[in-house]
Amino acid sequence: MSQRLQASIRAGQRHAPSGQLLPALAPYVTAGDGGLDRTLAVLHALESAGAACVELGLPFSDPIADGPHLQAAAERALEAGTTPAGVLELVRRFRSAGGALPILLFSYTNPLFVGLGGFSAAAAALAAAGGDGFIVPDLPPEEAGELRDACAEHGLGTVFFATPTSSDARIRAAAEASTGFLYAIGRVGITGARTTFDPEVLTWLDRVRDLAGETPLAVGFGVADGAAVAALGGHCDLAISGTALVRALHDAGGTPEDAARVATAFTTALGAGAP
Amino acid sequence: MSTFQLPTRFGRFGGCYAPETLMANLVELEAAFVHAGQDESYAAEFARLLGEFAGRPTPLFEARRLSEHLGVEVWLKREDLLHTGAHKLNNAIGQALLARRMGKTRILAETGAGQHGVATATVCALLGLECVVYMGALDVERQRPNVERMRLLGARVVAVQSGQRTLKDAVNEAMRAWVGDPEAHYLLGSALGPHPFPTVVGSCHEVIGAEARAQWRARVGGSPDAVVACVGGGSNAIGLFRKFIPDAEVELVGVEAGGLGDGPGQHAARWVGGREGILHGCRTLVLADSDGQVEGTHSISAGLDYPAVGPEHAHLADTGRARYERASDDEALEGFRLLARLEGILPALESSHALGWVVRERECLAGQRVLIGLSGRGDKDLASVLPRLAAEEESA
Repeated sequence: MSQRLQASIRAGQRHAPSGQLLPALAPYVTAGDGGLDRTLAVLHALESAGAACVELGLPFSDPIADGPHLQAAAERALEAGTTPAGVLELVRRFRSAGGALPILLFSYTNPLFVGLGGFSAAAAALAAAGGDGFIVPDLPPEEAGELRDACAEHGLGTVFFATPTSSDARIRAAAEASTGFLYAIGRVGITGARTTFDPEVLTWLDRVRDLAGETPLAVGFGVADGAAVAALGGHCDLAISGTALVRALHDAGGTPEDAARVATAFTTALGAGAP
Repeated sequence: MSTFQLPTRFGRFGGCYAPETLMANLVELEAAFVHAGQDESYAAEFARLLGEFAGRPTPLFEARRLSEHLGVEVWLKREDLLHTGAHKLNNAIGQALLARRMGKTRILAETGAGQHGVATATVCALLGLECVVYMGALDVERQRPNVERMRLLGARVVAVQSGQRTLKDAVNEAMRAWVGDPEAHYLLGSALGPHPFPTVVGSCHEVIGAEARAQWRARVGGSPDAVVACVGGGSNAIGLFRKFIPDAEVELVGVEAGGLGDGPGQHAARWVGGREGILHGCRTLVLADSDGQVEGTHSISAGLDYPAVGPEHAHLADTGRARYERASDDEALEGFRLLARLEGILPALESSHALGWVVRERECLAGQRVLIGLSGRGDKDLASVLPRLAAEEESA
């Protein structure tokens, strides 16, 4: 539910010792990388460690907006037999085990359009499973009419993007279309490419935040550690960290319990405001 | 939201399913395309380069010995005689001129068989643009001469190691590169991808059908009974078809890669195993499983080895204006062999699919007048063809 999501983002923002309001945390994980049992354990760990929501990646064969690490994670998840229906079942299992962490399904269009029977059916299925919204990187607002209507009907959040190449008018329209949050890509590029914030990026974020009005602003791309989260303090509401956690989970290997420990340590470090 | 000036769809197919990072570039490209269409100096420069540099018009050739052999009157539109050896140069010139109008100095491109990569590298050399070509590592191996050609022309060739290491993966990587480098122009090589690419690419190739239709009227009279072209993404086919679409008496036939058989992964025949889906920015027919994961493809021809088809073709099939058939690897080789022996022309393996279909269907086509799009020359394919033909001769 998008209300639960927005409440969680508000509750997740904490003041740093400096008094700055730090963004809430939204880790990204590829569903089924290492098996769905492992992903389930990670979801519980993220909730316990204080994440405000999770971006749950539905693996796709042709992820054109992802860098090599997330591509590799999607390939591993597909090889492990992960399906769209299996990912929804994972969401259901998490909810029935008491998990309350808001879940945004990150998916390219084709697994929704083909795999879940179309955008309306996908929204109905995600809502039934207990999900909270969609992030669809290859679905600009121009093509998102059906998904937006279905999300409104089922109380799911929508997320659209702002990039440095987006005009002010596009950013405003994307914010209005986003009932979850507006997703700012901190710098032009694919995921996992760089890990620092230039002053120009922060200036741009402030402009985006003005344009976004009441819509919460999330920053993805480039959030690898607590220092990056601290640097974003006062500039956005939510910090999304994808590649670094996916790599750490894969490199650590091991059991679901091992994965949970890695996820906990990672999220705690992100929230501690230090690398 | 009225982001674009032109229709983004062909019926329900097409659209613009692109990451936000690319939207500004797509809007800019469409604006440049619309503006160029109203600018006589663009048309004049495009026409000059198509003529003086590329060698247009290409001939319409009566294949008399092949016609006699098949009992079908076969005429060939000789895009194989275009500079760089395939129709791809039309689009490369048209888009590179648009890129120059937009002030772009760097061109990204994908390539399968290497023909689009060579055409793009050629135009970049001509216009003084930097050129990076993404090519599946498997295609780099099977199309070695074209890789060397691109390098000689000053392009950087990036071998793509992800996925199946063929055309689909090269498109993924080129799109990824463009997401990270929006200052560049992505010179997409087929009539697919997000709007406005299917419209722009089709428009650059319309000259093929415009010439062929006029040449046919002047040389043969009336209209052909059928116009046949191979279809990978479908750029040469849409270029040949478009001007014939209003001629209701002309049957339009696209021939896709039937590969080794009808099983998953054995072919690239979207009308056999495909379903409606969204890939590389457009809604079209896609070879994907029931979860929406894109399936592997196989074709003897690298240029047809692609799991989706241009959205305008999906629409032409849907409305019944065109039909889409397939030719197997073996049938394409038979088309290759016959054209070499009977007419002294080595066709590209892509074009050989159109020939191979006509050869197979010669009884149904008996006495008809058929125009075949000979989209490219076959020199690049000798490494694939020679071992196959040698093995066949041995077993015979």
